[in-house]
Amino acid sequence: MNEIVTVNNVTKSFQHKKAVDDVSFSISKGEVVAILGPNGAGKTTTISMILGLLKPTSGEVRLFNLLPHEKQVREKIGTMLQEVSVMQGLKVNEILELIRSYYPQPLSIQELIALTGLTPQDLKTRAEKLSGGQKRRLSFALALAGNPELIIFDEPTVGMDITSRKRFWQTVRTLADQGKTIIFSTHYLQEADDAADRILLFKDGAIAADGTPAQIKASITKQSVSFVVDPEKSLEKLYQHSEITDIFRKNNRVYIHTDNTDRILELLFQERIGARDIQIERGKLEEAFEQLTGESKEAI
Amino acid sequence: MKTFQIQCKVEIIRILRNRYFVFWSLVMPIIFYYVFTNLVNSNIPNKSEWQAHYLMSMTVFSVMGSSMMTLGIRLVQERSQGWSTFLRTTPLSNTVYFAAQMVGQSVIHVFSIVIIFIAGALINDVSLTVLEWIMSGLWILLGSLPFLALGTLIGLMKKVETAAGVSNVLYMVLAVSGGLWMPLEVMPKMMQAIAKWLPSYNFGSGAWEIVRGGLPDWKNMMLLIAYLVLFMLLSNYIRRKQEVV
Repeated sequence: MNEIVTVNNVTKSFQHKKAVDDVSFSISKGEVVAILGPNGAGKTTTISMILGLLKPTSGEVRLFNLLPHEKQVREKIGTMLQEVSVMQGLKVNEILELIRSYYPQPLSIQELIALTGLTPQDLKTRAEKLSGGQKRRLSFALALAGNPELIIFDEPTVGMDITSRKRFWQTVRTLADQGKTIIFSTHYLQEADDAADRILLFKDGAIAADGTPAQIKASITKQSVSFVVDPEKSLEKLYQHSEITDIFRKNNRVYIHTDNTDRILELLFQERIGARDIQIERGKLEEAFEQLTGESKEAI
Repeated sequence: MKTFQIQCKVEIIRILRNRYFVFWSLVMPIIFYYVFTNLVNSNIPNKSEWQAHYLMSMTVFSVMGSSMMTLGIRLVQERSQGWSTFLRTTPLSNTVYFAAQMVGQSVIHVFSIVIIFIAGALINDVSLTVLEWIMSGLWILLGSLPFLALGTLIGLMKKVETAAGVSNVLYMVLAVSGGLWMPLEVMPKMMQAIAKWLPSYNFGSGAWEIVRGGLPDWKNMMLLIAYLVLFMLLSNYIRRKQEVV
């Protein structure tokens, strides 16, 4: 059993509105999975159910083949929630010591510092006096405090500057290399593409696509081959091939939409169409993503 | 068990670092005590009895305040800022968390009681028998339970501002009408009749009886227990209603 997370036909309704609608997926050990989608797609609701903070209206979530709220599960997970919160009245090192004491095999303070970039100055600061960036580092450290096997981040990079973001993803890579399973949500396609091995694309509470970043990109971008050809020449032969999703003429050029541009090139030469000035175009990824998820502003 | 100890220790540290606690529960009662036993009411017939009586009033006032306000507001803060949500994802059990809050708060109460008693002994040479000191201290410690329950009830509010406002008003009204600031005898008959049923009066009354050489009335105890049960049932009921998501 390598499955760390299994989500089976999970639905979550809030007052007749379905936030998550019959979603199923499973995540194996060592995977780095991005839950990608625009706001309101059901990402946070799904993550809350995985964490056992919300109960599914129907269906079942299992972590390590146990229910999410069980103690054995809690000891193996670490999480950073969207809302960064800290315990008032304590210094950073006191909070870290406290949270470490909850777990059977916590990471040492030194290890946590090395992973999260907390400074000695941060450690001595009272929680209520931390800046936004320091709070983020602290909550990252809290997520890792118990040396978790499964780490879940809900929109981890919101509010981080570019340097912290870069550092954060480097650390995530390090953790993934140690064999940790990582789930994070984001509405940045670029981030999911850079950091994840697998993307679960959410739209309107359901999974619109599930695959590697390359597969997701291929499925959401329209690739096309265009060329100039003698107008007299019949393109009949090309029509028979299933790789072609669409073919049309525009401004003296022939455009072929396809998922497999290599195969189209092969065909052009095989069928001796006499195509000249061949161009391969990839539709703009971000545009396609925006179209697919129906949101324009937040997908960068 | 180790987790429980660390959790208690942390709660205690947090309370001691809280400026509102230090001001409202330690500094204010001691200043009040000094003012009302030395600067005003100086021509009271039985001076030493009044000094012991008022020392109890102020200790009760202090402990009542930290039960309701320090605890209540902290609970709201932790929930509204998402800290409670984070804790729910950790292995810390709810029971340990809750128990540590209560134990931590009670240790703080012992601390406040000792400090204010010492202040009384130093300021006015209040002298009670060892048994009276211990008995009145214990009464105040145990009598704080209904107020801790009231604190958890306040802790269920959604906003820190509401919780702070409501608990402040409730605290003052209970303190004044319960005869903690001035003896009940100086109030109108009507007020006196109402006060006899308030938790604050019954809390104070037990301690006043002890320093007068008597014992708390059974009615004091029964009423405090009744309030404890009432507040606990209420807060359980509301919590359950809130949790249905």
